[in-house]
Amino acid sequence: MSEKIIYAMYDDDDHLLDGAKDLVSKGVHVSDVYSPMPIHGIDPIIGVQPTRLGIAAFLYGITGTMLAAIGLRFMMIVDWPMNIGGKPNFSLLDNLPAFVPIFFEFTVLCAAHGMAITYLIRNKTLPGMPPRNPDPRTTDDKFVMEIRSSENSKFTYEELTKLVKKTAFIEIEEKHIK
Amino acid sequence: MEYKISDKAKKFTLGLAIVGIVLLVIGFFQQKDFVYAELIDDESVKIFYNGHAGEEEQAKLEESIKEKMSDYELDFVKNHDHSQHENEHANDHSSTHTNHDAESDHLTVDENHDESSDDHVGHHGPTFVWEVHVKSSNHDKNHSEEHNVSDHSSNEQSTHNVDLDQHSSNNGHHGDAHHNTKSGSEVLTEMINNREISFFDSGLRRFWSNLLINGFFFFGIALGALFYLALHYATESGWGVVLLRIFEGIMSAMPIGMAVLLLVFIVGTFEGHHIYPWMDSNIVDPDSHSFDPIIYGKTAYLNKPFFWIRVLAYFATFFLFLRWFKKKSRQEDAEGGTATHFKMYRRAALFLVFFAVFSSTMSWDFIMSIDTHWYSTLFGWYVFSGIWLSGMIMVMMITLYLRSQGHLPFVKESHIHDVGKWMFALSFLWSYLWFSQFMLIWYANIPEEVKYFVDRIQDYKLLFFGTFVVNFVFPMVFLMSADTKRSAGYLIVIGLIIFIGHWFDVYTMVIPGTLFDQWEFGLLEIGMFMLFLGTFVYTVLRAISKAPLIQKNHPYLEESKHHEF
Repeated sequence: MSEKIIYAMYDDDDHLLDGAKDLVSKGVHVSDVYSPMPIHGIDPIIGVQPTRLGIAAFLYGITGTMLAAIGLRFMMIVDWPMNIGGKPNFSLLDNLPAFVPIFFEFTVLCAAHGMAITYLIRNKTLPGMPPRNPDPRTTDDKFVMEIRSSENSKFTYEELTKLVKKTAFIEIEEKHIK
Repeated sequence: MEYKISDKAKKFTLGLAIVGIVLLVIGFFQQKDFVYAELIDDESVKIFYNGHAGEEEQAKLEESIKEKMSDYELDFVKNHDHSQHENEHANDHSSTHTNHDAESDHLTVDENHDESSDDHVGHHGPTFVWEVHVKSSNHDKNHSEEHNVSDHSSNEQSTHNVDLDQHSSNNGHHGDAHHNTKSGSEVLTEMINNREISFFDSGLRRFWSNLLINGFFFFGIALGALFYLALHYATESGWGVVLLRIFEGIMSAMPIGMAVLLLVFIVGTFEGHHIYPWMDSNIVDPDSHSFDPIIYGKTAYLNKPFFWIRVLAYFATFFLFLRWFKKKSRQEDAEGGTATHFKMYRRAALFLVFFAVFSSTMSWDFIMSIDTHWYSTLFGWYVFSGIWLSGMIMVMMITLYLRSQGHLPFVKESHIHDVGKWMFALSFLWSYLWFSQFMLIWYANIPEEVKYFVDRIQDYKLLFFGTFVVNFVFPMVFLMSADTKRSAGYLIVIGLIIFIGHWFDVYTMVIPGTLFDQWEFGLLEIGMFMLFLGTFVYTVLRAISKAPLIQKNHPYLEESKHHEF
């Protein structure tokens, strides 16, 4: 299946945002945006689903808390009860205040690592993966909008190009996939 | 963009204050006198006590009675109420009095039945009942003779004078006692019921503590708003410009809290109440029998003149900055340009420097010095986080109210969301500091540090931990999601819960140090809180109505209007 892709480049996120709003209002489907930093408010415009990373982070965090609780109970209470400063060493609950910092740190550790790794995998940007952005400058100070002809069947390719050219772009690149 | 207080809001806030006054007055007169006496006959008095008192406090009371009644011979027949399980080792005093004991026990029960309609006796019955036998003795004659003897031995010349003095004073005393034809038991009864003899210093202590709590809490809200306004200017933030007039309105109500605090401090300075032990001149007087060497060691910082210098410095600084910020923002409205803005930017940074020091020392002076023996370096931050959070909740409530009335067309959900985030984040800051303070002291377990928490956990367990759990768990669970931070319903409910939670936080900071184990919670507290809340909100709304709701010439106004994420 042959496909034509338009990459429109902008040098300001506001220009891209306005352009995307304009295109979407005319019925164009913007398939993706590449940007060096998050653009506030772009997701609902181009119809990206709200991220579920928060839910994932919560689950990772809970996992960390539980691991810490299980680990501490085993290490400090069951396997080798430790008497530190005369604190109760026969029950997890009695000694809870001393363990809270560890619970907290472990929760943060698991949530942060889990989140970062999930994010990289989901974006296919793990170290060593081939880059997916169409232009290396999108990691610097340029913004690129991707429009695929296959997703905009109600427009011809020429119409799409004309519409895109009405926005405040600086460069347009085309790509044909045979 | 002008706002006028609607009649409804006026009626509601002032009505709240008036209902508060009524409840306060009712509550005030419903307070129990903790120690009270009842005359039986010319030679015996019955003393009741309603709260909880350990052996030590009871001994103190006995001592103070003996001291005041030094002219009489006293005989204590102690009789602990049986509802008090802990004090069963009570009858060790008098094996010879066993008969008597049983008798008076019987009497006590009868008395309770008789008096159950009276508000003297709580539902648990008194903790202890003492029967004191008072005999006017020739004790004082012996006393003066002794004195004479010792005087003679020392110096003959001066003895005459001393002798004369002694005699005349003794005569005077005798005259007093006999001419008034008051028996010793009557004198004792009167003294106790007039609160000359009592635990601590009787009912007004609760009133003053509450005045301090509410004064500080509402002063803190205004201060939190002032702090945030300064922070907003110093960081050159843009998002909150449309809310700045609300911050201004809230901080304008600061004089209420200041006035109340000043009243508490002035009365305390003249020893009208003893909330601050270090203000008591007996405690820092090495010759006094109630001398406290630990507090004496702190007099370099905790003395009245220096305290007043600090109080006036805090209040003057805060008040002058507050006035200045308000004046300049109105000037900016009139003149435009960025000159005023940059002036405010610099002045706000200066304020933050003052605030950084004053917020800590202020909480030591106002709150931490109640538990004079105790100290915690973290206390200042802990109090400050509470202040900031209560201020943010107040901002949220007022914003939501004005927005629902259609007065704030520029305040969008994004702004509400951001204030909601502050509420969420500051709740965590507060919980973090609360726990840090608790955990370190719990772990180190040094007696002088741990006392603060022992006091609270023994007698205020539910309140103390409940406050923490509510103020931590509610915001965490209910404000975590982005949707709830945008929904007015959630924000109002959670906001009110943690607002009251933080009032209780201040309550548990103050009351255990002033009322010890004898606290009560009743109409006095509720009424005074309502009175303050009504007056405060009314003052805030009035202050807001005095200026346009938008700072039309603020350089970041456009950014704020388009604040979105």
